[in-house]
Amino acid sequence: MFGLDYSWLSDPAYQQWLLKGILNTIELAALSSCAAVIIGLVGALALTLRIFWLDAIVELFVEVFRNTPPLLQMLFAYFTLSTLGLKVTDPSTGLSVPLLSAFACASISLSLFGGALAIEAFRSGIETMPRSIIEAARSLGYSRWSRFWKVEAPIAARICLPALTNILTNLFKTTSQASVITVPELMYYAGQIYNDTFRTLEVMILVLLIYVSLVSIVTFAMARLERWMAFPGYGKGH
Amino acid sequence: MNRSDALIEIDGIRKSFGTFEVLKGISLNVSKGEAVCIIGPSGSGKSTILRCINGLIPINEGFIRVGNHRVHEMRSEKAMRPLRHQVAMVFQQYNLFPHRTALENIMMAPIQVLGHDKAEVEDRARKLLAKVRLSEKADSYPGQLSGGQQQRVAIARALAMQPDIILFDEVTAALDPETVKEVLFTIRQLVEEGLTCVLVTHEMKFAREVSHRVCFTDRGMIVESAPPAEFFDNPQDPRTREFLGQVL
Repeated sequence: MFGLDYSWLSDPAYQQWLLKGILNTIELAALSSCAAVIIGLVGALALTLRIFWLDAIVELFVEVFRNTPPLLQMLFAYFTLSTLGLKVTDPSTGLSVPLLSAFACASISLSLFGGALAIEAFRSGIETMPRSIIEAARSLGYSRWSRFWKVEAPIAARICLPALTNILTNLFKTTSQASVITVPELMYYAGQIYNDTFRTLEVMILVLLIYVSLVSIVTFAMARLERWMAFPGYGKGH
Repeated sequence: MNRSDALIEIDGIRKSFGTFEVLKGISLNVSKGEAVCIIGPSGSGKSTILRCINGLIPINEGFIRVGNHRVHEMRSEKAMRPLRHQVAMVFQQYNLFPHRTALENIMMAPIQVLGHDKAEVEDRARKLLAKVRLSEKADSYPGQLSGGQQQRVAIARALAMQPDIILFDEVTAALDPETVKEVLFTIRQLVEEGLTCVLVTHEMKFAREVSHRVCFTDRGMIVESAPPAEFFDNPQDPRTREFLGQVL
């Protein structure tokens, strides 16, 4: 069809590669997404404490990771962390291997990148909270801590959910850059396959479709979550 | 040491926002069971006075006592918790928590802040909803209620804290004329039951009918303070006369 040749797809070896690539991509995305959300929450929470030096640290972290290319961050993580000299002995082979694999370095760098963006999203969610709602909570005697958990966080979470969806879909797509530091995810195996078969266009079309499907799952899940969490009577609420 | 028998005692409070002095020495005593209306032009510091009484806004100078609490000496939110238990507040914009139902809005603070028993609080909350005539809206979210209904839930939420005093901050200003009535009806009931109320309002007729005393503020001062009949029929200060001439 259209002169495209997909006969290589019947080769079990390539099927294996694709499947492994997809699984690694999902694993990398899931790990770094979870970590990014946790970093985001902790960072945003730290900012609400309004402690001068803590603010400075969090803001520096956000600026560094938001304002530099994620590919550079990943290369940086790979070359610094793997050359730190942290080695462990693999019990199965008896060989000395770096403690932090390429996969670990990619996870860490993606988590920090996503985390920086998530801090900003959560911070803006907390800051756009109507002042009057906070005043109401104060007048009811809520302490700062319980006010945050019982009133501000549930409302802020709903405000920043759309921004979080953007961050997570971007993070998912950015996992493809891990191929550069030899993490065997989908993009990495795609390269392997077209280097083997010279069917570059065919492989790229297939990989594109796979990414579309995978990221759609994320956006679909987030849309469901948004609808589920919506306040009845506001926005998407019924 | 209390300087007087009043439930609320305010003496010479001053408050500035930046270089703008909102309150320039306000003094006001409110006795137990008294309903005091504060009226006056926009920006004259009416709402600020209310927020000073329950410690939402710290003052620069002066003395505030509510019951046994010396508000001007309190610094932390934690220290103010007993005060907030005694003094509830109802706001112009209702300020219900949008993620909780009407019933939950009423129950939240007594359980989460005061640590009261959940079953007992629910019973209390349902009775209060009945009192503001919204029993059938217990499971509705604020976004599903009209302004007047939200405001009545907000009053029930304030009452659930079992306060001695309620501060009403222009609670009908955001409502349409028909719903104003239902909210004022509820407040009138509370005053008749002997709850101490301080109300900032633009409803002159209501102030006249319900309050025991009317205070007129202008440019950060209480210019005149008198029982309603006297205040409306025979205002002493020229600024009061001018204001009443405009609004009545």
